[in-house]
Amino acid sequence: MTTRSFVSFVGPSVACMLVLIALPLLGVGYLALYQSHVKTELVEVTTEVPLFGSQTRKQTRNIPQPVLDENGDPIQVWEFVGTRNLEKAAAVDGLAQTFSSPRGDAGESWIGSLYREITNYEFWGALEFTLLYTFATTPAILVIGLGLALAVNSVTERLRGSLVFATLLPMIVTPVVSSLAIFWMFLDSGVVTAMIEWLGFGKFYFLADQVTTRSVIILYGVWWAAPFAFIILYAGLQTLPSEPLESAMIDGANEWQRLRYVILPHLSPLMTVIALIHIMDAYRVFEPILVFNSSVYANSVQYLTFYTLGFEDNVHKAAAYSILTIIGVVILLVPVLRQSFRDYRPVQ
Amino acid sequence: MRRRRPLWLKAATGTGLWVWVFVAVFPFFWMFLLSFRTPVDAFASPPELFAPVTLENFRHIWVEDKFWRFGINTAIVTLATVAVSLTIGCLAGYALARYRGRLGLWLLVSALVFRALPHVVLLTAYKPAFFQMGIWSRYETLIMVLVAVNQPFTIWMMRAFFMSIPKDLDEAAMTDGCSRWKAFRLVIVPVMWPGVITAGLFAFLLAYNDFLIASQLMNGEMTTMTAALGNYMGQNRSMDRLMHGIAGAVSVVVPIIILIFVFQRQIVAGMTAGAVKG
Repeated sequence: MTTRSFVSFVGPSVACMLVLIALPLLGVGYLALYQSHVKTELVEVTTEVPLFGSQTRKQTRNIPQPVLDENGDPIQVWEFVGTRNLEKAAAVDGLAQTFSSPRGDAGESWIGSLYREITNYEFWGALEFTLLYTFATTPAILVIGLGLALAVNSVTERLRGSLVFATLLPMIVTPVVSSLAIFWMFLDSGVVTAMIEWLGFGKFYFLADQVTTRSVIILYGVWWAAPFAFIILYAGLQTLPSEPLESAMIDGANEWQRLRYVILPHLSPLMTVIALIHIMDAYRVFEPILVFNSSVYANSVQYLTFYTLGFEDNVHKAAAYSILTIIGVVILLVPVLRQSFRDYRPVQ
Repeated sequence: MRRRRPLWLKAATGTGLWVWVFVAVFPFFWMFLLSFRTPVDAFASPPELFAPVTLENFRHIWVEDKFWRFGINTAIVTLATVAVSLTIGCLAGYALARYRGRLGLWLLVSALVFRALPHVVLLTAYKPAFFQMGIWSRYETLIMVLVAVNQPFTIWMMRAFFMSIPKDLDEAAMTDGCSRWKAFRLVIVPVMWPGVITAGLFAFLLAYNDFLIASQLMNGEMTTMTAALGNYMGQNRSMDRLMHGIAGAVSVVVPIIILIFVFQRQIVAGMTAGAVKG
């Protein structure tokens, strides 16, 4: 294919991505370097203030008022602040103080108190749970996905369709809805809480404690992503040649040895792919944090930025968080990108 | 091949599968049951499997809260998103599958980076810009944003699919005097539909499942069903409001369950194509 026709074929798609993805990325960088506020001026306002009876006193005060342009809109002032927004978002000053202050006296271990203080800063706290979520769910979905793939592969053909259907549910269903479905089960009067109480294990308040809130969200993440690992590994099992398995059996290998020495080596490239894709997806975790309203106990970088943008309505701070988020994405992507460049084989 | 499996392994496999099916299905099954109940029955302790059925929650959310309005928005936005992103994604995917230059690699790698971006990063830039331009809270805006966000995934998937169509097919047509465009139209378009359906499903899922973008770019009555669920998640949840939210969630999820039921094979194929070949 000539470069000219290539360009005309990819044109619309590239234009769309340039305008709505690449350009906004530059815009975020720009927003992060500026602060803006409505231009105000002090206007002398004189009012009559009642004293007592019918007596009044004239009072003159200077009150800030927005300056309007000729259309009657308030004038926005943009001020270049360099990396100040970023430094504030990453709590650079706070971190410096945290590292230099003495610690280890209040019965807390040195590393423990350092960790607690660092994660008290908004961004680092959000990053902490994001990474915890990412790296706690990744091995779990690989193990559960592999178990499911092996199990489904061993049942009769007739059952497989319905098993795959049930398995797809947690993953394909709208994440907000699936988070809500889990959330409602763990409410103080939800079905799980009520069952535990009924069985005599006492009353749990799952959503009022950091450890239980975090556990439920991580369990949600495993439940949501294990089907993905399952589907890929199940497809991988279908491409497993039968000769090595048969020769392993002739050599007297038991189930475990066949899994360890024949099946796992065959599936390991797929497991790498699953882990990489899942890490990218988990880093964006958003819906469960929103639905569980758990930002106090468990926050994520995407939710933190969303909150800053939507509720605090602070575009510049949100842009600074976005830049920090992008840096994280790039770090996570390095292995994927290296793989892509290595594997790329243009059509011969 | 016949394998003789030990009995304990068979038992463990069976139990494990049943436990998983229960865990995967139960939250949705329970949500479905709750949506037909009054708050008192829904959150009784101990939980009840059978309780009187009422349609009040659905009536309230669809009639009084005007959920039908959000349903129409969702239909417009998702269908338009699927149509536009398939049209431009097909062309790009085809070109990427047939082009040999480095330019293709750079495009694919940028798409990969774009795919990994959290959407809120883009929203941060959209919000002030769209406000300034006066295109905030409009169908066209949301549709184009969803198309753009969807492109990276679509072009990777369509490329993997077009690479499986032998290139002799269009090259033969070009030897017979067709231009690249004509060869695409006459030879490739008739055989590309399985891939298009799969990519279309994923475009549909992304647009339909999106909460974040719609909740920030659309206002009031213009929002989609999924984003409208946010109205039921606020701080002041009364029991009634909670029940309306459950009915809303069930309303959102039913089309998806039908979709999985009908297109299960294509969904599985698409997921494996994306991961195994991409």
